Amino acid sequence: MRLRKSASLFITLFLTIGAVISFFPIYLAIINSLKTQGEMFASFTALPTKLHFENYAHAFEQINLLGSTINSVIVSVIGIGGIIFCAALAGYKLSRTSGRLSAAIFSLFIASMLVPFHSIMIPLTRMAKNLHVSGSTYGLALIYIGLGVNMAIFLYHGFVKSIPRELEEAARIDGCGEFQTFFRIIFPLLLPITVTIAILDFLWIWNDFLLPLLMLTDSTKYTLILSTNTLFGEYNKEWSLILAALVLTALPVIIIYGFFQKFIMQGIAEGAIKG
Amino acid sequence: MPVNRYKHVVSLLAFVAPAFIIYSLFLLIPTIGGMYYSFTDWNGLNRDYSFIGLGNFVEALREDPDFVNSLLFTLKYVLFMIVLQNVFALVLAVFIETKTRTKGFFRTIFFMPNMISTIISAFMWTFVFSQVLPQLAEKTAISVLDQLWIGDPKVSFYSIIIVSLWNGVGYMMIIYLAALQGVPQSLKEAAVIDGASPFQTFRKVTLPMITHAVTICFFLTLNGAFKVFEVVYGLTGGGPGRSTQVITMNIYEEAFSNNFRYGYASAKSVILFIIILLFTFIQIGVMKRKEVEA
Repeated sequence: MRLRKSASLFITLFLTIGAVISFFPIYLAIINSLKTQGEMFASFTALPTKLHFENYAHAFEQINLLGSTINSVIVSVIGIGGIIFCAALAGYKLSRTSGRLSAAIFSLFIASMLVPFHSIMIPLTRMAKNLHVSGSTYGLALIYIGLGVNMAIFLYHGFVKSIPRELEEAARIDGCGEFQTFFRIIFPLLLPITVTIAILDFLWIWNDFLLPLLMLTDSTKYTLILSTNTLFGEYNKEWSLILAALVLTALPVIIIYGFFQKFIMQGIAEGAIKG
Repeated sequence: MPVNRYKHVVSLLAFVAPAFIIYSLFLLIPTIGGMYYSFTDWNGLNRDYSFIGLGNFVEALREDPDFVNSLLFTLKYVLFMIVLQNVFALVLAVFIETKTRTKGFFRTIFFMPNMISTIISAFMWTFVFSQVLPQLAEKTAISVLDQLWIGDPKVSFYSIIIVSLWNGVGYMMIIYLAALQGVPQSLKEAAVIDGASPFQTFRKVTLPMITHAVTICFFLTLNGAFKVFEVVYGLTGGGPGRSTQVITMNIYEEAFSNNFRYGYASAKSVILFIIILLFTFIQIGVMKRKEVEA
């Protein structure tokens, strides 16, 4: 579409202002995390004269960065792995099976996608306590699997339709059992949608706040987000420390974003359009 | 063929079992449990509790001004978000789409805030609102900046909206961008040859081609906005007083921090569920009809 020069200029201006606003809080957090408290209150917008990394050292300890990052990694890896394993099996089979039972199970999974988390959080905390999974990183990961499979099943269910049935028949003739056929032939072919699901679930689990808040009580089990949250309550006025912690928490995702941008955006677009 | 049929069912269940068991434990049973508790006066601790019918629902809607206020506050928030989030996301997507050379750059920048956890975003903005903007206002004498951004209930509503948009617009923008890429260039060119202005082309050609994305983005915004929690929790904590308390926060307080009235809080969460369902069905119903028209 050809645009007039003035229109094109307006668009550039609009986008530039938008980009500045978009980046502004991140920029402020970064520059101020490198200043002393005094330097900061003199001017929040000025660049630091000398880089004060001691805020980071302090924050690193206060939020138990290493430990809580490991916790977040454990929860994410087990959560995502479990969702993919369970949902791929179920989504594939439900998609390939016709009949009332299969349709009923699928509908049940899909209908529950509408249930807001806040409607189940009370009985869920009870259930977690009864099953002795609350208070542990592994338990938390299990709950994520339970909450995440329905969406993943939905996406797999749709994707499986694009895989020709002849492949399974061929495998069967060659003597593969059902599970063998699935793991050897089908699962590798599901890779594109598996990547999409992994990305969507990673963003969800890594950044989630409320569920860890409800489930974890022991601070050594805290996820990264939860650790940073406690800091905010305890060190209310120590902005340089808090900002350093915020940057430390946000940085890993932004770095990951830098590397996997293309996949992330594609994943979101696909997840939305198929969902 | 009863044997064959039996084998069929067993194989189906074998594949579905892992997902179904874990889903039942952490989603299906809690959903049913929550609905059941909503009719009881359970306090979460006692073994014995009684069934009180619709008592909790009546109390929530009739005798609990805090709950009703949080409900109205949330509705106002939902309305603002649906309009603003989609307008901004669509405008950004359309504008970015016209810029072939800088497309990647702007897309990256606008989406970046979405990567940051909502609660962390809220904390970053708390810093901006409570520290940076007042100082900027003092130094530059721009009076608009001089607000009690999170201290004055009238203003803090907009602060909450600003942070939500900052965090969420990028996501919707990606969906709109993907939809825009699906609009055939030849159609737009044909419209231009027929003498349509860029705005007319957008209105008559592009927009009808992306109504599917509009429906999805409205659905996502509506669902997300009713469930807003982190932004408000991080920014105002629901205050001052209870002036910015959203419905999810009201439920959370009722169950976990104030009274431990699990049954009553469950009833409130069932009300939230029903409201979301109702709004979703209306929205999808209305917009699907529009899609067919186009």
